[in-house]
Amino acid sequence: MKTTRREIMMFAGGSAVGVLFTPAPWRLITDTALWSENWPGIPVPAPGETRIKYTNCSLCPAGCAVRARSVGDQPVALFGVPGHPLSHSALCPFGLAGHHLPYLPARLKQGPVNEATAAVAEGIAKCGPAEYVVTLDLRPARTASWTYRRAMAAVKNGRYVAPSAPNAAVAVDLAKARTVLSLGVPLLDGWGTPGNVIAARPGFRLIQADAVESRTASLADQWLRIRPGSEDALAQALAGATTHAAAADATGLAEAEIAALAAQLAQNGPVLVLGSSRLESTGRTIVARRETPVPEEWQKAAPVTDLASLPDGSVRVLLIDESAPGEYLPWQAIARKLAPDSPVVVTFATTREGYGRHAQYVLPAGIYPEVDGDIPPAIDSVAATFRLSTPLVAPPQGMVKPEEFVAAAAGLPVTDTLHERAAAIHKTGRGTLFTYADAKSVALKDVSAGDFWKALQAGGCWIDAPDDKAPAARLTTAATKPRPTEESDLPLTVVVGRELAPASPILSKLYQESNLRLAPNRVALHPSCGLLDGTQAVFETLLGKCPVGVTLDAGVPPGLVHVSVSPALLDLCADGARAKVVRA
Amino acid sequence: MTLRGTIPFLSGLAIALGAGWVAFPHVIYRSQPQPVNFSHKVHADKAGTKCEDCHSFRDDGTFAGLPTIDKCAGCHAAPMGTTVAEKNFIDRYVTPNRQPQWDSYARQPENVSFSHSVHVKRAGMTCASCHGDTGTSDTLRPYQVDRISGYSRDIWKIQTTEAGKPMSHGMKMADCVACHRQKGIEQSCLDCHK
Amino acid sequence: MISANKQIRAARYGMIIDVDRCNGCGACMVACAVENNVPPAHEGATDRKGLTWLRVYKVDNGEEYPNRQTAFIPVMCQHCDHETPCVHVCPQQAVELDPATGVVGEMPQRCLGCRYCMAACPYHARYFNWWDPAWPVGMEKTLNPGVTPRMRGVVEKCNMCHGRWHAAKEQAVAAGKPDTEPVDYLPACAEACPTGAIRFGDLNDPSSTPAKAATEPGSFRLLEKLGTEPKIYYRSKRDWVRAAADAPRPGAGKENPRG
Repeated sequence: MKTTRREIMMFAGGSAVGVLFTPAPWRLITDTALWSENWPGIPVPAPGETRIKYTNCSLCPAGCAVRARSVGDQPVALFGVPGHPLSHSALCPFGLAGHHLPYLPARLKQGPVNEATAAVAEGIAKCGPAEYVVTLDLRPARTASWTYRRAMAAVKNGRYVAPSAPNAAVAVDLAKARTVLSLGVPLLDGWGTPGNVIAARPGFRLIQADAVESRTASLADQWLRIRPGSEDALAQALAGATTHAAAADATGLAEAEIAALAAQLAQNGPVLVLGSSRLESTGRTIVARRETPVPEEWQKAAPVTDLASLPDGSVRVLLIDESAPGEYLPWQAIARKLAPDSPVVVTFATTREGYGRHAQYVLPAGIYPEVDGDIPPAIDSVAATFRLSTPLVAPPQGMVKPEEFVAAAAGLPVTDTLHERAAAIHKTGRGTLFTYADAKSVALKDVSAGDFWKALQAGGCWIDAPDDKAPAARLTTAATKPRPTEESDLPLTVVVGRELAPASPILSKLYQESNLRLAPNRVALHPSCGLLDGTQAVFETLLGKCPVGVTLDAGVPPGLVHVSVSPALLDLCADGARAKVVRA
Repeated sequence: MTLRGTIPFLSGLAIALGAGWVAFPHVIYRSQPQPVNFSHKVHADKAGTKCEDCHSFRDDGTFAGLPTIDKCAGCHAAPMGTTVAEKNFIDRYVTPNRQPQWDSYARQPENVSFSHSVHVKRAGMTCASCHGDTGTSDTLRPYQVDRISGYSRDIWKIQTTEAGKPMSHGMKMADCVACHRQKGIEQSCLDCHK
Repeated sequence: MISANKQIRAARYGMIIDVDRCNGCGACMVACAVENNVPPAHEGATDRKGLTWLRVYKVDNGEEYPNRQTAFIPVMCQHCDHETPCVHVCPQQAVELDPATGVVGEMPQRCLGCRYCMAACPYHARYFNWWDPAWPVGMEKTLNPGVTPRMRGVVEKCNMCHGRWHAAKEQAVAAGKPDTEPVDYLPACAEACPTGAIRFGDLNDPSSTPAKAATEPGSFRLLEKLGTEPKIYYRSKRDWVRAAADAPRPGAGKENPRG
């Protein structure tokens, strides 16, 4: 018989009722819920065994001790080392996210190594009698720096330039100071070794002379709001070289304020002065520091040359090591020294944002925490130190070790220089070894050379014996220029602020997600500037333009622009330059 | 109801019940064998190993889970028996130092934080009470995975090797909660989730 | 539905934060993000749409130079003890106050993203995932396996580093400690703080730092007049800081009015 519609409906009805009594529909509902939990693109962290490794952070001259919690071989969290005599278990926000750096999107992964090697060899051969082969080292006093110096001694007309080298043998003793007069130096915001500054802070009164309400100014015991560039004028008056009236004129402070400041300094010594060479510190708060020992054979290395002493147009080959984050010299200062006809410029960098914008050959160097090297003593470490930045992860293929490249170009044999230096230190028998795993100090003479090397690699640092006879010394500080007074269509005066680079993208927590710090390539202006917070703008100086973001900050007086610099911005301006900021 | 209506209804009912109870499990699960034909029985009897010898606890209390190839290579660097399975294992995994891609019957979602230490060491539970008789089995049962959700069939009811018979419970949250309630150790969400 | 095992001594984990020591460095914020797999900001993120489980606010006394004073106040979930607002309003019961530890635990996997809890929280300490998390390629290898990454559309907040609580519990079992003692651990922010401004401990243990500090004069809590009984105590010698704590939101007036 023909199937009727009714029979089909009854069949369907029976199936529907039956299906409800089977696991099928209920399982499909659960499965859909479970399937929706496995959202594509959400990473699943890899499980594994937890291991603790130690190293020292090489992101800034402080070189704080680091305890890394790793899952298998991959570090997943970094912290300070409790009990460390210098860094006191402190690690700054940049160091806390250092393990992200190998995965920075902007990171250089390859470069023209063979072409650069050939070009450098050719350049060295072609070097004329009045021309030079220069290695520019932006973080001197490392073991790698000694390799550069030895290489430049081995090359005809080799010169070694390190702008901040004069201060490498000078130390600041915060513990001795009762008053600190900081003229624009960010003492509480990344200066020296943060853990050491924090530990010493209760012992001194901090007077911060700053043009804007910087973080240090807001935390200081007293903030003197001076005009940018008037630091030297204030220091000279306090030293007695000029009158208080002249200083009041230059700084914008009242004469009575300056007199009160002078009285304070006279009554509450010892006084440490940072930020100007015109006023001496007292009480041996700035002392000479013995250099960390080096092997005898290295003493035949090239001396440090001042960039300014090289004639313009005389550099045939320039090798720049910007792989260890350090100072950035504006490119104009360097460019004029280059030979006019096809000089060879090679830079060893981790991103293209520094000298990579100007150099012909940009070679990729390993980034923290992949690179083994050592960190020279910090400015606030009274004793010499030796600490290794032991790699926590292996660098990828294709990375160049700058010191090996330069040594090879100079015909110097490549040796384990870090081990040689450790051996030289051990021979002196001076100082103590602090090991991170157990937070214990032992005298160096009680440790064998082999154990010393192993301890340094596993996580430790050597600290020199205290030198009570160390003479007082001076820090070389660039002279500050007062703001030019003539009218100009660049109405703002630049105040430079720095952020550490390279930095993990997680630093956005402090930048755009909370406005706690000013991100690089951002400027802060007084709310009366007429721009809205967060605008994209163009920052312009006599030297060029650059896109920036604007943040409004009432702590920046009208007429000033607080620039959080990157290399691109440093090429355009320095402290005290004239600028303007207009909407993009 | 007329007879003409009842028959289609009952036949629909019967077919649906049959499809749901018999055909559906075949369809929803995909079955795949484990990469190595491993016999827990042989290792327990002949090598005298207990569960913790290979599925060990680390010093910090975490559970190492499935052993890595270096644990197997500790004994099986050279063939210890005469089976083809062992020879294949040595050729494919021990010699090239490659990890076998085991399919874990007990795999839980990412947001679950299960502590073996607490259950085995503090509560004194046996491995078999949650994992069934895998530890005494001669072969590894095939891994039956739900095609849509990606979890093993054991999550709903722990299968055993005795002709694929299931235990009375699975490894879903409801099973954990039932046991916790019974013992009076009700906990809060974040005790078991991360 | 939830009842505590009567044998376990209940803890009430809390903190004492010394505002006079905080130097606004932000190390705690970065350590928190690293520990809890919080992703870096999406392009569109501002301080209103960001994910900052712990956020340091800059507040000042309202004066101009030279009488201007500044302070930094770290604010995370205050783990309210009494009539916890977010627990009350959640339609999914995705938040609960754990009676054994005092931690207000958020279950992002259970959250449906209505954001009612964000409106209820008087401390603005809850954050919504407006976007799926995105780490640069390869950076997901650095994620912490003790904490699950969340997808978009759910709310998340500080849970006193419960991943570390789990790890510390397993270590306590390995060390043979009895299960009647609360777990002894340290959240990432307290461990990272270089000045020692953030101190963590069990408020039920009279010898712990927060418990002792809680009873001292000079200690205060944010918005105490609301009666939420938060477990995060603050301390400052400066009167204007204590006055700021009663303000509707720390740093009111310095907020970004856009975005």
